[in-house]
Amino acid sequence: MVQLLSSDNETFTVDKQVAERSILIKNMLEDVGESDAPIPLPNVTAKILKKVIDWCEHHRGDPVSQQEEINDRKRLTEIDEWDQKFMEVDQETLFEIILAANYLDIKPLLDIGCKTVANMIKGKSPEEIRRTFNIVNDFTPEVRQFGIISHCYFLAMLST
Amino acid sequence: MTFMDLCRADDLSPPATPPGSSISSSSPSPTLLTRPPQRMRQSYPDHLFGDILLQPSTLFEGCQLDHLQQIKASFQQMNALQKQYFLYEILNCCDTQQLNFVSSYIAPRLKIDFLKELPIEISLYILSFIDDPKTLARAARVSTFWNSLLKDETTWKSLCHKHHYKRRSSIINGTSLLGPPARRTNFSYRDYFKRKYAIEAAWENGGKVSTFLDRLDPGLVTSLQFDDDIIVAGCDNHKIEVFDARSGNKLRTMEGHEGGVWALQFCNTGGPEDRRILASGGCDRNVRVWDLDTGRLLHVLRGHTSTVRCLKLRDHRTAVTGSRDNTLRVWDIERGVQKFVLLGHQASVRCLEIHDNLAVSGSYDSTARIWDLDTGRCRHVLSGHYSQIYSIAFDGEKVITGSLDTNIRVWNATSGQCVATLHGHTSLVGQLQLSGHTLVSGGSDGCLRVWDIDSLECIHRISAHDNSVTCLQFDDRRIISGGNDGRTKLWDIKTGRLIRHLTHPAKTVWRLQFNDTKAVIVMQRRRSSNPDEGRSAMELHNFDILDEPKLMPDEDVKME
Repeated sequence: MVQLLSSDNETFTVDKQVAERSILIKNMLEDVGESDAPIPLPNVTAKILKKVIDWCEHHRGDPVSQQEEINDRKRLTEIDEWDQKFMEVDQETLFEIILAANYLDIKPLLDIGCKTVANMIKGKSPEEIRRTFNIVNDFTPEVRQFGIISHCYFLAMLST
Repeated sequence: MTFMDLCRADDLSPPATPPGSSISSSSPSPTLLTRPPQRMRQSYPDHLFGDILLQPSTLFEGCQLDHLQQIKASFQQMNALQKQYFLYEILNCCDTQQLNFVSSYIAPRLKIDFLKELPIEISLYILSFIDDPKTLARAARVSTFWNSLLKDETTWKSLCHKHHYKRRSSIINGTSLLGPPARRTNFSYRDYFKRKYAIEAAWENGGKVSTFLDRLDPGLVTSLQFDDDIIVAGCDNHKIEVFDARSGNKLRTMEGHEGGVWALQFCNTGGPEDRRILASGGCDRNVRVWDLDTGRLLHVLRGHTSTVRCLKLRDHRTAVTGSRDNTLRVWDIERGVQKFVLLGHQASVRCLEIHDNLAVSGSYDSTARIWDLDTGRCRHVLSGHYSQIYSIAFDGEKVITGSLDTNIRVWNATSGQCVATLHGHTSLVGQLQLSGHTLVSGGSDGCLRVWDIDSLECIHRISAHDNSVTCLQFDDRRIISGGNDGRTKLWDIKTGRLIRHLTHPAKTVWRLQFNDTKAVIVMQRRRSSNPDEGRSAMELHNFDILDEPKLMPDEDVKME
C-alpha cells in the first residue's frame, strides 16, 4: 500500500499497483524505495486526487502499453463508456483532472481528458465555441470582417 | 457605482460554491466543502439586465445602499464555510425567476477557456485530437489567442500526418512543390496543409479541366506519358505528339515511324546535361530513340521482324522491347546497338515489365518468362495459364500475370513457382498494377478488383464499366479507370466507392495517367455533327488549384 498526501493535507491509502498508474509516483517509489511516509502531491487537491484514484482503480488491470499511439484512428475517436461517464463533470473539475493527469504523468487519463475537451470543440461554430468556454471575441472589427471573408474563402475552397 | 458593480465578483473573494453542487431551494442541507481558491473568471458580456445599465440609486434608498455595503463587507470577512452558508440562506429566499437569474449569471463564470488556461503543450495536444480541418479553421476564429494557437505548426504538422500528406513512393513523382518539406526554407505546415487539402478537395470535387480537341487525329492513341513539363502521346497514325503539360499547347510532332506507334517511354538522363530520352516502337518493326527536348532522332534500331508491341526503359541507357516476332530484344540506346535477343516465347510477346536487372514478359503462348538483362538468359518459364497473357506486373519479388483464361496468377520471381491463382474476373484480364501490398486488376468484364497481395484476398470488386477496362492507375488514395464505354471514373481505393466521373461520356477512353496534382486522359469523343465519327480529346485536369497564387488572399498575415 502507498500513502498519498493531497495539497490540502488529506491522506489516501491505495494499492501500489493502482498508484503506479502514475509514472510520477512510480518513479518516486523507485527512487525512494519502500517507505511508510506519505508521498506529498502539492499540485493535487483531495477532491481531484479522489477522482484520479477512482480512475486508476477502475483501470488497474489495463495493460500499460506504449502502443496506443500507433492506432491513430482509435486514438482520435474512442472514449470508452465508463470513461465518458467519468468525465461528465463540470469544466473546473475537468480542467483540474487534466492538470493532475499531466502532473502525475498518467498518459491514458490525460488522453481522455484532452479528447473530452476536443469533443467539446468539434462541429461547433466559433460563436458556439465561445459560448461553451465563455470566451470573448476579441478580434478588432476590421480583423473580424476580414477574418470572416477569408474564412468564407477557405471554406469555399474546401467545399468547391 | 452601478448595480453591476455590486453584482460583479471582481472585488469579492472567489465564489465558494462547488460548481458541481446543485442549487435548488428544495435541496437538503448543502455539503459544506472547503475548496482552494479558484482562478478569477472574466465576466461574460453582461446581457442579463438588457441594454440598460441600472443605477443602484434608482433602485435603492440611501440607507438601503449603505446596508447593502455593510452586508457585502461582512460577507467578505466570512470564512469559506460561513460564506457558503450565507449563500445557502440567500438562495433559499429566492423564487424561480431569481434562481434563473443567478443560474444564468453564474453559468458562464464556471466555464473555462481550456486552450488559454492550460499549459500550451496540453492545449496543442488537445488540438491534436481534432482531425477535421474545418473545425480547426472555425476554432481559429474564436479569439486572438485561439487564432495564434491554431497557427502553431505542431497542429498542422500532425494534421499533415493524419491525412497522410507525405511524399509517396509512387513511380510517378508529383511536382517539386510537394517535395519533402524539410528541405524548403520558410516552410509552413499550415500552408502546406492548406495546399494539400485544397488539392484533395479538388480531386473530390473537380479541378481545373482543360480540354483539347482534334489534336491527335486521325486515329487512336496507343500510349501516353507525362511529367511536370510535357505530355507525350503515341498514335497509330505514325506520329508522336508532344504537348506542354501546363498549357496543353502542342510543342512538336515527331514523325519518322512508318507505321502505327504502339509503345513508348521516356526518362531523364540525369547528370549535368539532363535531358529526356524517348524510345518508341510500333508496326514498322523499328525502335526509334529520340532526344525529346529537341525532337531530334538519335537512333533507329533494327532487328525485330514484326510489330513492336511493348517497350520499357530500364534507364536512359537500356531499353527492352517485345514483339510479334516472338522475341524480346535488349538495346543499348545510348550507343544505338542491340545487346541481346531473348528467345524462348512461342508466340507474340504482349507485355513486359522491368525491375532492376530483371525483365518479365507475358506472351500469347500462355507463358511468362523472367529474363536476366545482364546476361540475356531466361531464368524461369512461368507456365500455368491456359490462354494468352495480356498483362503483367512485377515488383522484383512477385510477378503477376493476367490472362485471357480470366485468371490472375501470382508467381515467386526467385523460384519461378506459381504462388496463387486469383479467380474472379469473368473475362480477359487486360490491366494490372501492383504497388506495395495492393494489386488492382481490370478486365474485359468491366470489373475492377482490388487485391491484398499478401493475404491474396479480393478486397473490392467494383463493377466499373459496361465494357472492357482499357486503362487504370492507382495510388494509395484513389483509382482512376477508363473503359470502352467511354467513361472515366475516380474511385476511393480504401472503400471502393465511386467518387465521381472524371470526364464527360466519350466513345472510348484510350489512355490515362495521373500524379499527385494532375491527370491526363486521352479519349475518343463522338463528333456532334456525325455521331459515328470520332474525334480525339485530351483532357488535362489540374488539382493544384492554388497553383495560381492570385486566387489566395493571404489572411494569415492580417490576422496577426
